[in-house]
Amino acid sequence: MAEFSAEVFQNEFLSDGGTDVHAIVSVTCAGAGAAGAVGVTAGASATTDAVGAGQVAEIVAVDTSGSMQGRNMEAAKHAAAVAVDQIPDGTLFAIIGGSHVATRIFPYPNARVPMVAMEPGARNEAKRAISTMSASGGTAISTWLRLADDLFATVPAAQKHLILLTDGKNESEPSMHLDRMIADVTGHFQCDARGVGDRWVVEELRKISTALLGTVDLIARPEDIAEDFAALVRKSMARGVASVDLRVWAPQGSQVLFVKQVAPEVDDLTGRRTEVNPLTSGYPTGAWADETRDYHVAVRVAAKPVGSEQLAARVQVAVGGEVQASGLVKAKWSDDSTLTARISPEVAHYTGQAELASAIQEGLAAKAAGDEATATVKLGRAVQLAAETGNDEATSRLRKIVDVENEEEGTVRLKRNTAKLDEMALDTASTKTTRVRRA
Amino acid sequence: MTADDSVLVRCPSCGESAAPRARFCENCGTALGPVADDPSLPSEVTLDVAPTVLDLDPPTGEAGRRRCAACGGLIADDGYCADCGTPGQSERDHFEERPAAWVAGVCDRGIRHARNEDAMALAASSTFAALVVCDGVSSAPDSDVASLAASRAARDVLVAYGPEGSSSVAGATSRRIAGWTDAMVAASRAAGQAVRGAAEQLAATKGTNVADDPPSCTFVAAVVDRDLIVAGWLGDSRVYWLPDAGPAEQLSVDDSWAQEMIAAGVPRAQAETSPQAHAITRWLGPDAADTDARCAATVPSGPGWLLVCSDGLWNYCSDAHEMGELVRRFAGCGEPHAAAAALVRWANAQGGRDNITAALARIAPTVTEQR
Repeated sequence: MAEFSAEVFQNEFLSDGGTDVHAIVSVTCAGAGAAGAVGVTAGASATTDAVGAGQVAEIVAVDTSGSMQGRNMEAAKHAAAVAVDQIPDGTLFAIIGGSHVATRIFPYPNARVPMVAMEPGARNEAKRAISTMSASGGTAISTWLRLADDLFATVPAAQKHLILLTDGKNESEPSMHLDRMIADVTGHFQCDARGVGDRWVVEELRKISTALLGTVDLIARPEDIAEDFAALVRKSMARGVASVDLRVWAPQGSQVLFVKQVAPEVDDLTGRRTEVNPLTSGYPTGAWADETRDYHVAVRVAAKPVGSEQLAARVQVAVGGEVQASGLVKAKWSDDSTLTARISPEVAHYTGQAELASAIQEGLAAKAAGDEATATVKLGRAVQLAAETGNDEATSRLRKIVDVENEEEGTVRLKRNTAKLDEMALDTASTKTTRVRRA
Repeated sequence: MTADDSVLVRCPSCGESAAPRARFCENCGTALGPVADDPSLPSEVTLDVAPTVLDLDPPTGEAGRRRCAACGGLIADDGYCADCGTPGQSERDHFEERPAAWVAGVCDRGIRHARNEDAMALAASSTFAALVVCDGVSSAPDSDVASLAASRAARDVLVAYGPEGSSSVAGATSRRIAGWTDAMVAASRAAGQAVRGAAEQLAATKGTNVADDPPSCTFVAAVVDRDLIVAGWLGDSRVYWLPDAGPAEQLSVDDSWAQEMIAAGVPRAQAETSPQAHAITRWLGPDAADTDARCAATVPSGPGWLLVCSDGLWNYCSDAHEMGELVRRFAGCGEPHAAAAALVRWANAQGGRDNITAALARIAPTVTEQR
């Protein structure tokens, strides 16, 4: 039985007249079980929130456009076959080949069922189908998402996951088409998007993965695709809790300034708000494995007299409409500056990490646009923040793009002739955060 | 009300107590006016309320959920209001009593203090009311326990002297003044005993010595016995008589450093804002030598409000005239419960720096009826 817990980190003291309350709420899921698992643990089948057998659907969509011709296509075919090996028996699955149009590779286009349950025979047939894929045509990713959505719609699975692989730009359709399609399928399934090589556009795939509650990543070498796909399938199958909502209650007359996931990755949820009731907003967070995700919640409340206490937010985890855990964010007004001046180390850390992500993205965008002055300032700030928040991975990625003059002050020079792949690696990893070091 | 048309036993100019038949104030020499003989006094007072049974206990938690004191919303399981997020208050932090339609009080933690060390105990029937307020000394631990024990013990003694009690005070006004003065002293002594009892019990539970940091509290009480109001006090909690027409007056005289300074000629505003202003010179507690209440009485000549309160309220409005204006502002409807709640809210809006207690009785005597 999955159990959620919520822990709140904040400085609840506000100075006289203070209105803005910030807190990091750390949500942990334990005992999630496995997606589609049958009797793995005693009592697992009796739980209502764990995803039962036959309730999981997995689709792999592989780019088959002309640009894939050669090493990429062969590597992608191999990777899709590896993914099929990783999909457990009983899981509903399908394989899509995508170019300027989308084709159902398996089940075969003439098959009567759009998705089939995995079993050894189906696995072998699927691999044979994958081996027949060949590269030709353009790239219109919206058609891939449309087909995946159509296939998923035919099955009653509670948990639906798409792995999408491309090597190029979405060049065969206006970007508006893709945007509209993303909006159409949002909430229907989750999607992890992967780009291979250096000719795809990070921002395009990030749009997809962000809206569809997944991740975006770069696979630099084709031979690494197979291991990445295997890991993605394993990760997806470990998510035993299908659909989890974060809920934020804020008092009458207050304003939720933002709700951001800040670990393991920065993801601003604010715009995905749905109303649960007039005081409570809901934010979908997709399926959960045994894991911890941290959220930064900021609420603006009306100032109260010094000495008053006020609940500023209830941050809750809801599964199937039932609240599983709740964290209380408080405000206490004080005229003791030793209390009010403190900044919660967790809030400070993640505020820095979120700023780091946007500094990297804005810096790279400026660099791409030829605005070297802005790029230098932004990437310099990123170097400073990465050092301050101990994000060594970001630091080493940044050092491939800039020469650091002074890390503490964030003064850098842009490197000449940097590798496109290094920039893309920095961009895709920009949202990954390090956790605060707890004393 | 002027000195001419009622029996005043307190000097209207300096506040000094005077014997019921005194013609001049012993303190300042102010003429106290001719004292009429008892038969001419209004002796039968009809109170404009329906008879009510005595309700000696504060309302306890209603079946079901508690309500938020700030917005009226429900208090959720996590202890905060489901609508406005205000922390739910414990029964001790905020309680209200309304023993009769004309008598009610609200006792509240305020904003700045972590605990409510004020306490209040009220009793009333159709022609009788006892209002007791005790303010725990916050420098001593467990003063909240002490003040509650004290106020309830004193109220029970006063009820015993009331019309339905075992040793009713009776007779003409002057006799009843004497009787209620005795009753008031008995009540304050019983309250002092209750504080000592509570202190000993707490010390025994904790394994500490009673003499170390003993809990203590102030005491103030007012009794309405038909045409008569009698006040008794130790410390700086107060009784105000606020007639609808005529000058408002503070019946009690603080046992405080500030009052001593005022008596010595320091202006009230200056004395009351000095750092030692709240140092009280008499109190109830194991370390208190004298627990006999000082008393004052008055016979109202017209309708008005009797207010018994702690310094959490009067700190924001000390002057009797201003207090009269304030109560009139909130008491338009003539309903004491709403008025007391409004006074507490007002004090909280001023900063709520101390615990706040406001107990009110609406006095509406008709002086036409003679015995």
